Amino acid sequence: MTPMEALPVPAAPDPLPPPVSPAAVAWRRLRGHRMALASLVLLALYALLCLGAPLLPLHPYAEQVLAHENLPPSFQPAGITLLATREAELRQLLAAEQRPASPRERTQLAGLARAVASDPVHRRIYLLGTDALGRDLLSRLLYGGRISILIGLLGTVTAMLLGVALGSIAGYAGGLLDTVIMRGVDILFGLPYLLVVIILMALFGRSVFNLFFAVALLSWLTLCRVVRGQVIGLRHAEFVTAARAMGASPARIVFRHLTPNTLGVIVVFATLMVPEFIMAESFLSFLGLGVSAPLASWGSLVADGAAVMELYPWQLLGPAVAMTGFLFAMNFLGDGLRDALDPQSRRGGVHGR
Amino acid sequence: MKRGPKSPMLRFLLRRGLSLAATLFLVITLAFLLIRLAPGGPFASEKQLPPEILASIQRRYHLDESVPRQYLRFLGDLAHGDLGPSYRYQDFSVDELIRDALPPSMTIGALALLLALVGGVSLGTLAALRQNSWLDYTAMALAVVGISVPLFVLGPLFKLGFALRHPWLPTSGWIDDRRGWLTLILPVATLTLPYLAGIARLTRASVLEVLRSDYVRAARAKGLSEPVVVLRHVLRGALLPVLSYLGPACAGILTGTVVVETIFAVPGLGRLSVQAAINRDYTLIMGDVIVFAVLLVLMNFLVDLGYGFLDPRIGHGADAP
Amino acid sequence: MTAGRGARWVLLALLAARALCAQDFVFNNGPEPQSLDPARTSGVPETRISDALFEGLVVNDARTGAPVPGLAERWTISPDLKTYTFTLRATTWSDGTPLTAQDVVDAWLRVLEPRTGAPYAYLLGDSIQGASAFSHGRGPAADVAIRALDPRTFRVTFVGPLPYALAMLTHNAFMVTPSFAVRRYGPGWTRPGHFVGNGPYVLKAWKPQNKVVVVKNPRYWDARDIHLASITFLAIEDQNVAYDKYLAHEIDYATEDAIPTARIDEIRLRPDYHHVPGSTVYYFLFNVTRKPFDDVRVRKALAMAIDRQELVDGVLKAGEVATAGFVPTMGGFHTTRGNAFDLDQARRLLAQAGYPGGRGFPPCTVVYNTSARHRTICEWLQQTWRRGLGIDVQLQNLEWNTFLDTKQKTHAFQLARASWLADYPDPSNYLDLFRTGAGNNDGRYSNPAFDRLMARAETLAPGPVRDRTLEQAETLLVDQDQALIPLFFYVNKFLLDDRRWGGIYANTIDIHHPRWWFAR
Repeated sequence: MTPMEALPVPAAPDPLPPPVSPAAVAWRRLRGHRMALASLVLLALYALLCLGAPLLPLHPYAEQVLAHENLPPSFQPAGITLLATREAELRQLLAAEQRPASPRERTQLAGLARAVASDPVHRRIYLLGTDALGRDLLSRLLYGGRISILIGLLGTVTAMLLGVALGSIAGYAGGLLDTVIMRGVDILFGLPYLLVVIILMALFGRSVFNLFFAVALLSWLTLCRVVRGQVIGLRHAEFVTAARAMGASPARIVFRHLTPNTLGVIVVFATLMVPEFIMAESFLSFLGLGVSAPLASWGSLVADGAAVMELYPWQLLGPAVAMTGFLFAMNFLGDGLRDALDPQSRRGGVHGR
Repeated sequence: MKRGPKSPMLRFLLRRGLSLAATLFLVITLAFLLIRLAPGGPFASEKQLPPEILASIQRRYHLDESVPRQYLRFLGDLAHGDLGPSYRYQDFSVDELIRDALPPSMTIGALALLLALVGGVSLGTLAALRQNSWLDYTAMALAVVGISVPLFVLGPLFKLGFALRHPWLPTSGWIDDRRGWLTLILPVATLTLPYLAGIARLTRASVLEVLRSDYVRAARAKGLSEPVVVLRHVLRGALLPVLSYLGPACAGILTGTVVVETIFAVPGLGRLSVQAAINRDYTLIMGDVIVFAVLLVLMNFLVDLGYGFLDPRIGHGADAP
Repeated sequence: MTAGRGARWVLLALLAARALCAQDFVFNNGPEPQSLDPARTSGVPETRISDALFEGLVVNDARTGAPVPGLAERWTISPDLKTYTFTLRATTWSDGTPLTAQDVVDAWLRVLEPRTGAPYAYLLGDSIQGASAFSHGRGPAADVAIRALDPRTFRVTFVGPLPYALAMLTHNAFMVTPSFAVRRYGPGWTRPGHFVGNGPYVLKAWKPQNKVVVVKNPRYWDARDIHLASITFLAIEDQNVAYDKYLAHEIDYATEDAIPTARIDEIRLRPDYHHVPGSTVYYFLFNVTRKPFDDVRVRKALAMAIDRQELVDGVLKAGEVATAGFVPTMGGFHTTRGNAFDLDQARRLLAQAGYPGGRGFPPCTVVYNTSARHRTICEWLQQTWRRGLGIDVQLQNLEWNTFLDTKQKTHAFQLARASWLADYPDPSNYLDLFRTGAGNNDGRYSNPAFDRLMARAETLAPGPVRDRTLEQAETLLVDQDQALIPLFFYVNKFLLDDRRWGGIYANTIDIHHPRWWFAR
């Protein structure tokens, strides 16, 4: 055999893999990002629980049972927790004052025990405890989550629509339109946010809708700037020149060609904006401009819980963990999406490297 | 074509300066009109003032004039550097109030920004250089906690841990209190954390990308030591996203000071402006608007300059993002 | 040293430092004061500071709150009870200028003058002869019936035999302020460099949003009896932040502004907690010109469906006193019984009005100003009415200025939360709110019979006849017309370590004059 014949025969080249859409590529890359996937699952759980809250067997979120105020979380019926708490309080008082229980205190306790045995309301179970008016924190958490998530999503969608539209237009058109839009953005940035919110609330009334509108008002600004930057960068790309040569109208160019190419940045921004919205809403709740009673939102629950952090820590812990968990998940999802959608990123990739 | 200043830098500065001045003017005008739209006024109180008293006070402060006339008067005073008396805190002028409130806010804000920048970049770079180590995971976990917990939970938690349970630090106040500089620690720490976290995450992601780029590989191939590679080559490119984050971060810190000042009873501009809005103290609000707008504009300007310094590819023309 | 021991040393060192400056008293005064000029202010935080810096003819006694001699050593009252002649002490202002009766005249004229814009000008204008015309700019200053008979004698003639005249004179609108300093320095006279006062303390430093520091006034006429070296008034609005300071021993005394209602459960068990029922009333005001509250049966139904005792015991828990009447008992005057809790009657009335079981009840909104406490009370009310009457009311919290605008200017409300703190301890100060066309009659209540009773009471001398007349007026207002729903009387509370400080006692008017404070 000649040396050449000994050489291994190269196999026929692999057929090219079938073409895949960018979305499928992105999805495949996302699947490889474990934290992002876990976050997606977590978010789905949140969505299910919160949006499906009316279907769950929860205590009504606005119903007050004064006898049950400020109870700690427990798997046992409320009556047992109530008795245990009152007994512990009494024991503490007696120890501080160094005396035995008076007949009145004893009768009170006995009366409570009787009420607990007979009244069905004491058979309730409060998995996350109750607040100062005896309302179930678990149901307030879930219903509050609906509002917070709603505000986050709707606000983000509004901000995205506004920011992407105006940013794309400004970036592509340039010139006077660009100047006008960007000037408007700068001005809105400079206005006293709090005052604008107060005025909006006063002019249009207090409702959840107005709340998210107020928060959305200032959130589209950064997105607008970023999209504009992207569009400016792509303005002179070849596909744009080609489209223009084919006679596409500016609107078509902007919305059919340019915007989809900035989608990666937009989507990432969106997942990072939802947390921002929820934080903004909680900031407004902290200042007393949030949702109207008896509704709750994560922000208002956290603000109330922070006030009694030492006395009744569960009133802060529950909402804070819920809110933090949601923000955690959104942040990781944003990370994963950025890696998946950014064509320049080296993580994962169609051919792997 | 008119012959303007030759240097492109100077031309850029001039053009930017004019544009910023125009924005400032528009913000001031809009704010002036807007605050008069809000219901209520500076002299509302639970026990109403008798109508003649109210009329007399309004006359004294020219609030009985038409809005355009008030606006012109305001502009005239502004040209003389006179921000007027506060409508609510009647013994002080707006100028005095802002001058007293600015140092605390600036101190806390600047310290927080500095610490967040230095700490965040260091942490993020370290995490990126030791990717997937325990350091990396801990740092990033902490970072996400930092951005997910609101300031008004973080603040009271710090207070609980470091001032109430153990009397190491004062719970609130300012450096002119008995315990002096210790009073600064908690508010600054609270404000720094979220932004340190954000910058750390951003830096890490950015450094990771740059580490794989060609010019870094070239630098390594040249045989340069690792610290030199990192400091001179990697950071220069990686810091660009951090720089663009600085704009929103500053805005965030400005809003954040409101919460921090309330929780730690710091006599700063954040708290002052919230009170001004609630009290409809028109003159004080205008003073705050001007100060904030100037600060923001300055920050944006510095960020733009920073862009030019870090990435010479970005021109100073109108196309700059 | 472990962390625990280290902390204990730090705490000891702190306490030692505090003990050394035991004469320095620090507490939270609430929001930043609007002004230090007692003529131009109306809020409680401002009053507390004015009480330290200035003095009037009479001051409040520490324990009872009753008027006792201040700048005036003694006084005589004319047989018709209208003219008071005060003999002033021989004393000086803090800058050494002698204090004369003419200073009193000048100070009161300054309050009355329209140019000053004093919110309480009406207190003087409505009570002193000839003052009303002057304060409206329609008469000369010389017509106001106040005179400096000689440098130490001051005389004032009131419009009638006012039973509350002396108590009213403790109000800061009547304080004697240095008109000469006002003339010399203009609005800047209240600043530390220019400040002149006649009170137990004098202004040392004023940092806005931070603190006001006053030090003992060596020229005060009773300086021997002033035992604190300095008082610091902090300007912290947030009750939780202030309470944390109290817990950390950074402030010595916690007023209402440092007692967060959400933590009342733990606070009322403390040994340094003091409380006594006060005379401020918390109520909800009907706008009687708007449906459905133009029907008295609906108003009564809502009022009678409320179990106030449950509110006070289960929700508020700080010792508030439930009340269905509006004016607290004082002197010979007794609170009306009002329409007490009676759910059956409430339901019957609602059905009579056309809404049996709550069906068809028009949409109704309760407005309140943003506060966790008001929100809790409103939520409880909402549930009470839903359970008891089957009606659904909406709650709307408004930011402070918007709330005031809605309640006072536009009257665009059906039910609004309100409270009233009397300017002076007399039933007329409460009932005057509801006279037709009165400045603070936000609910637009108008009943000619009520107006006639109030007008008659003005002319009566203090005594049983006057008391009965006012009681009749209150019965008309509350029992018969139910123009408002009174809920409870506030409890005046504060935290103070009695082993270290004295001079602050729980009294019903919640006035604690710094003049009496001392360290043990």
